Amino acid sequence: MRPKLALAFLLVGILAVCGTAFAHHGNVAYQDKPIDLKAGTVTKFIWTNPHSFIMFDITNDKGEVEHWAVEAGSPSALSPRGWTKNSVKPGDMINVTVFQARNGNTVGRLAKIVFPDGKMLHDSQDRDTQAAGAGAGAGQ
Amino acid sequence: MLVCLAAPLRFTVRFRAAFAPQEFHMRNRLLCVVTGLIAVLAFSTMASAQAPPSKEAMATAKEHCGQPGQPGTQYQVLCSDTKTPGPAPKHDISGSWSGPIGAMRGDPFPPMTDMGKKMASVNHANGAVNVADSNDPLNHCDPLGFPRSAVFELRGLSIGQMPNRVLILSQYERIWREVWTDGRALPKNAGSDAPGAPDPRYYGYSAGHWDGDTTFVVDTVGTDDTTWLDNGGHPHSSDLHVTERYERVDHDTLKVSVTVEDPKVYAKPFLLGTTVYKWIPEQEFEEQLCIPSESQAYTDAIARPAGEKK
Repeated sequence: MRPKLALAFLLVGILAVCGTAFAHHGNVAYQDKPIDLKAGTVTKFIWTNPHSFIMFDITNDKGEVEHWAVEAGSPSALSPRGWTKNSVKPGDMINVTVFQARNGNTVGRLAKIVFPDGKMLHDSQDRDTQAAGAGAGAGQ
Repeated sequence: MLVCLAAPLRFTVRFRAAFAPQEFHMRNRLLCVVTGLIAVLAFSTMASAQAPPSKEAMATAKEHCGQPGQPGTQYQVLCSDTKTPGPAPKHDISGSWSGPIGAMRGDPFPPMTDMGKKMASVNHANGAVNVADSNDPLNHCDPLGFPRSAVFELRGLSIGQMPNRVLILSQYERIWREVWTDGRALPKNAGSDAPGAPDPRYYGYSAGHWDGDTTFVVDTVGTDDTTWLDNGGHPHSSDLHVTERYERVDHDTLKVSVTVEDPKVYAKPFLLGTTVYKWIPEQEFEEQLCIPSESQAYTDAIARPAGEKK
């Protein structure tokens, strides 16, 4: 094995067994900055390990319907953030903040969803809650 | 959740309340009602704990458990507990335990033999970031196998002691392993090509014994060589011999180390990983399954479109 490959292999092995910075796979496929999508209609919510995901439709500026699929954390990661398997249902209207795929496809990683009554649900990886908690914390 | 235990045993349960943990000693019928209340309170405390843990809590967790666990998880909360636990019972590692997602790294991987390098070139993590392209067998919900199941996906561990064996049960994938304690010898050549050799198993063949009052030692052989040692895809042969040590440190703490010996692949034995488990107050863990149809739905809906080159 070439030295460089061996080193990469070792590093992956180290990171893999080290439990702290865990991920099955990274978020490299997604943009760094999130975008806000308004008035999505939920079509499906899959509450599962290792990633839950929500599918919803958005009508864009051109009047076309975009089909989105956005992943979030596992049930055990989302539960401390207030999620249950019934948090999102087909037919619900939600505003979604999402890190879209770099390739422009209508998929991404969830940052948070906001319901019409102002209730927010954050993804397990989302840091907004900490910042909001330190401040006025409205709309939680 | 109402848990009723008929056995007239003294039972110590703790629950984490917002202000002060309390300890109850219960008997018989009282056990029924109080356990239910405690379970509800503990559960609701966990569920409503939306505020992130303090720096002090995380530091305490790291001190107690070697790694603090993900903030807000049951493991982190249990590791942050500052109450002094009761003493370790003798020859008893039974119960349900909370663990982190992954073990702490042990030794660095030793140099590989020529055979090991050959195996690694064929069978290793392809490093694909996107799940759709990754060759990790987990992504198809293939079995974790042993010893990967002892260093990865450790969130819930249950141990049951029977007269002639110990059962080790993992929350992840509802894995169970039998560790024979009746003095039987482990099979020879399991997984090899020798005539009459027992087939290899994803979870191997295990036997165990007590070392002193509080440490249970497990030996495992005959593991299937298509499984990975770790998430990095490190290979092993079916000659692999794994030694686990389960040390009951105190009533609430179980320290586990996993040592690997595979002279066909690695130049010397090494410590694969260690984990500190914590006693789960309500003694129940979740159902956590890898479901092939959902895994496929995820790959089709998210992973493949996200990773598509355009």
